[in-house]
Order: sequence, then C-alpha cells, then structure tokens
Amino acid sequence: MSDEKFQVIIIGAGVAGSAAAYRLAKAGREVLVVDRGKAPGAKNMTGGRLYTYALKQLMPEEWQEAPLEREVTREIVMMMTPDSAVAVDSSFASMNRQSYTVLRAKLDAWMAAKAEEAGAMMVAGSTVDGLIVRDGKVCGVKIGEEELEADLVISAEGVNAIVAERAGVIKPVEVKNVAVGIKHVFRLPEATINDRFNAAPGQGTAMLCVGECTKGVSGGAFLYTNQDSISLGIVVDSLSWKNARLPIAEVAENIKQHPAIARYIQGGQLIEYSAHLIPEGGIKALPKLCADGFLLTGDAAGLVVNSGITVRGMDYAIMSGIAAADAANEAIEAGAYSAAALKGYETRLKHLVLKDLETFKNAHDYMVHTRHVFTTYPNLAAAMMKNMYTVDGSPAKRIAGVAKQTISGKLPYFDVIKDIVKGAGSL
Amino acid sequence: MKNLSMDDRLAVNRFDSDDHNSHIIVDKTACKTCPHRACTFSCPAERYKWDTVNDVLSFDHVGCLECGNCRLVCERLNQGIEGYSWNYPRHGKGIIFREG
Ligand SMILES: Cc1cc2nc3c(=O)[nH]c(=O)nc-3n(C[C@H](O)[C@H](O)[C@H](O)COP(=O)(O)OP(=O)(O)OC[C@H]3O[C@@H](n4cnc5c(N)ncnc54)[C@H](O)[C@@H]3O)c2cc1C
Ligand code: SF4
Ligand code: SF4
Repeated sequence: MSDEKFQVIIIGAGVAGSAAAYRLAKAGREVLVVDRGKAPGAKNMTGGRLYTYALKQLMPEEWQEAPLEREVTREIVMMMTPDSAVAVDSSFASMNRQSYTVLRAKLDAWMAAKAEEAGAMMVAGSTVDGLIVRDGKVCGVKIGEEELEADLVISAEGVNAIVAERAGVIKPVEVKNVAVGIKHVFRLPEATINDRFNAAPGQGTAMLCVGECTKGVSGGAFLYTNQDSISLGIVVDSLSWKNARLPIAEVAENIKQHPAIARYIQGGQLIEYSAHLIPEGGIKALPKLCADGFLLTGDAAGLVVNSGITVRGMDYAIMSGIAAADAANEAIEAGAYSAAALKGYETRLKHLVLKDLETFKNAHDYMVHTRHVFTTYPNLAAAMMKNMYTVDGSPAKRIAGVAKQTISGKLPYFDVIKDIVKGAGSL
Repeated sequence: MKNLSMDDRLAVNRFDSDDHNSHIIVDKTACKTCPHRACTFSCPAERYKWDTVNDVLSFDHVGCLECGNCRLVCERLNQGIEGYSWNYPRHGKGIIFREG
C-alpha cells in the first residue's frame, strides 16, 4: 500500500492532461500528473496550429501569455505534381486571434507550469506502467515497483494509450485508424520569414498540400511558420502507407526539394526531426470514455478531426481535459466514482467535440478510398492552369474548353462526379 | 537545400538514450517469416533495415522517435507475441523534443 492517496492522478502532461490538472487544481483538488518525458512536452509533437477558443475557455486571462508563435492570417491550400503546383492563397487582415502556430516543447512546458502554479503536482521522467484495478475499479497507477492510489485516474496519455489498452479498459487502437506524421523544424531569422511570406511581424501562414508530396497516398504535407522557424512535414494514412510500400523517411525528406516548398525553407537550418501518430478513426472508432474510477481524454480517446485541410486535436484535447475535470469534480463532491457517476463527462463532450466528430464521420474513409484526390486531381489542376496560361500563338480557347481538353481521356467523368458528391457530403 | 542522411537528421535531435535496454524487442530470426516487413519502410527514423547480405533484420532502438508506427504496422509487435514487445522507454529516457 502506498502512504499517499490523491484525489486524481493524471497520466500525461500533454495539453489534455495539463488542462485537466489546471482546472482541478483551481478547484482545490489534490492532483498528481505523471509524464514520461524529461519535462512536460519533451515527448510531444504537433503540426501545428492551435485554435485558441479552447485555451481561452481554460484560462480566460492567462492564455494571453501563452508561448504562441504566430497568428495564422494566411491560408494556402496547394495541389502538387512532381514539378508544378496550383494553390489557393487566402490572406486575411485579421482573424481575431482565432488560431496560432505552436511548438509543443514550449507550449506544454508552459501549460504544465500553470497547472503547477495552481497547485497540481507534476512528476516528469516517470513512465506509468499500469493501472491498479480492484473489483473492476481503477484505483491508481503503477510506476515500476511503486503504486500510487487515487479516487480517480484520468488517462491523457496520447495516441499510444498502452496503459489503458493493457488494463483492458479500452480496445487497442488499430492501424487502419491512425496516420503517421513526420516533421522537420528549420531555423530561419524572423525577418526572413516575414519577407518570404509577406507577413507583418507576428502574422503567420498555414499551408496544406496534397498530391506528389505523399506520392499520391492518402494524406498531405503541411507547412507552418513559427516566430523564427518553419515546421514542414507530411501526414500519411498508416495502413495505406503499409500497402504502398514506399520509404516513408525518404518521401518526407524529398518534399524539401519540391520547387513550391524549397523557396520557403531555403537557407534554413534543420533543428529537429520528429515523428508522431495521429488518431484518425473518428467517431466510428470512439472507445468507451469512462470506466469505474477512470476517464479518457484527448488523443487517448481519439478526439481528432482531419477534415482534409486541417487537423484538429489540440483544441479537442483541451476541451476534453476541461470536461473531464468538471466530471471529476462532480464525482468527488458526490463521493461516487463509478462509470455511471462519471457519465457527465460524455454529456459535456457531446456539445462540441463529439458533435464535430459526428459531422466528419465519413471524412477519413472518403480520403482513404478516394485516390483521385491525391493523384489525378493535382495533375489535372496543374495541367489545366498551365493550359489556361499558355499563349503560344495557337487559337485561343475559352476556359470551359480548356477544362474539357485537360480532363479528356484522363479520368472517367463518372468518377469525378462520384468523388465530388461523396466529398461534399463528408468533408 | 541538400537532402540529409538519416544519421544527420537524427544528429540534430537531443536524446538521452538507454543504450543497454531496448524499449522495443523483435525476434530477428522469426522476422524471416514476415510476409511484408512493413517496419523497414514505415519507420520515420529508419531503425529497421533488412540486411540483404545475411538475409536478416537489423534493428537499433537508439534514435527511435517513439512514434509507435511499428507497433501498429507489425502484427507481432502489436499483439506482443513471444519475442516481440513494444514499450515506451522508462525514466524519461529516449527522445527529448526541444521544439515539438
Ligand atoms: C504531424 C501532426 C500534425 C498535427 N497537427 C495538428 C494541428 O495543426 N492542430 C491541432 O489541433 N492538432 C494537430 N495534431 C494533433 C494534436 O497534436 C494532438 O491531437 C494533441 O497533441 C493531443 O494532445 P494530448 O494531450 O491528448 O496527447 P499528447 O500531446 O500526445 O500527450 C500525451 C502525454 O502523455 C505522456 N505519456 C504517454 N504515455 C505515458 C505513460 N505511460 N506514462 C506517463 N506519461 C505518458 C506523454 O509524454 C505526453 O506528454 C497533429 C498531430 C500530428 C502528429
Ligand atoms: S514487420 Fe514485424 S515481423 Fe515483420 S520484419 Fe518487421 S519487426 Fe519483423
Ligand atoms: S516507434 Fe516509430 S521511430 Fe521508433 S522504431 Fe517504431 S516506427 Fe521507428
């Protein structure tokens, strides 16, 4: 038996875990957060862009001091062929601070420090090995030989939720329900980034690409500008990749050479190379969110939406951390910790997070099974633009004629229409 | 910008490696019967290689980015059958992201 008992133990000091810890500590609860990283954030990676509403809800005042990189005011969506690219480039004067680029080592360390300031206890450098389960109720965590007890355990352990999986509280995540992300961070002077992206200081760009960047496999590339660095990477469906049998690290490296990307990162110095999984099963793969004495949040619960042009997981992780803390508070007040007593968690999540997952429930299947989006369409778009801009003395054509000429013979019209109808319904 | 070798890419990262205890265990002899060898092209850190001279798998846990993709593309690691297991490193060992 251990000599200490906490009200709540949280596994993982990512954004979900620290959000829950902050809220519980503010409510005066005795909370312990255990993280396997040398420091909170040391194991975490994201694209990334954080939608700030969630952070604002958690910390209405303090969020303004968070280490955010640049406010995204320019959005680029690009279709790539091996040597060309067609982009839709949108710039906005102001987005009301809706989203910012972030780097997790800084953001997570800051959020964890805020939770500690509020009274939570943080233990980094410790990997939770298992749960203490008695009569079907989760009663604490095991770290090596040590056992730590709690009324409630919140798993915020991320996509490889092996603690929850091995305790049998959730079904193991399946390869068909994850994507793998690989990211490079390049250091570049702040002023160079401002010049290159035509950005005012503090303003940032988010760029998403499909096509050649993933060799036509379901997924895409992303580029985000940070204050004095650029995050560049790819995300690909893990099972599709396994079937495609392409060298993943080489493909990730090669996007640096694409002319539409190379000019942005030119002269940059690689300062980090990272990889991380993303849960993409959505609502169809949703595990049970609570068990007796146990709550599941963030990536561990698969609360991520990939709508095709944006991956959202951090805002949902924070929202689920808030909801879990509120449900835990209720349970502590009632002195009841059964799954039934924790039901309030799911009800709270329904309003926003689960509703979004429901809305995008077919997006993942659509992306995985619609190969034209990643292969044929980028080629067509590039060819059509080239045709449209070609002036070589031959008789001019109207745009509709150019489109028809470009598509002709390359793609069954039926497929195009099917993709559009299915895509419009699921994205 | 020049492409970098995997060694050069990993060299910019910070690691506190547990050189002696591997957090991932594979049975290299048993791997000879694997029908897909998906680890060899699905690992972002190229930790798994097929040694064509000796016709055997080689694996190095040092440099692992702890993403978990091998745990999912490999059925044996996934089910943790005899000779195969996947865990996170202990005591804060392994990758230390300074950017993330
Ligand atoms: C390439 C990529 C791009 C993305 N882009 C975006 C984006 O632009 N916007 C967005 O909103 N989301 C994005 N996401 C998703 C987002 O990063 C995640 O949804 C989010 O990080 C989930 O937060 P979390 O707190 O649930 O989990 P994590 O951030 O994974 O945190 C889990 C924590 O648990 C700890 N831990 C795990 N196991 C144990 C254990 N056994 N013992 C102790 N500690 C443990 C880890 O150290 C870690 O700190 C992206 C993800 C990737 C990989
Ligand atoms: S995928 Fe698994 S079984 Fe196959 S070679 Fe790799 S480690 Fe061995
Ligand atoms: S966890 Fe990721 S980086 Fe590590 S060996 Fe497996 S696939 Fe490679």
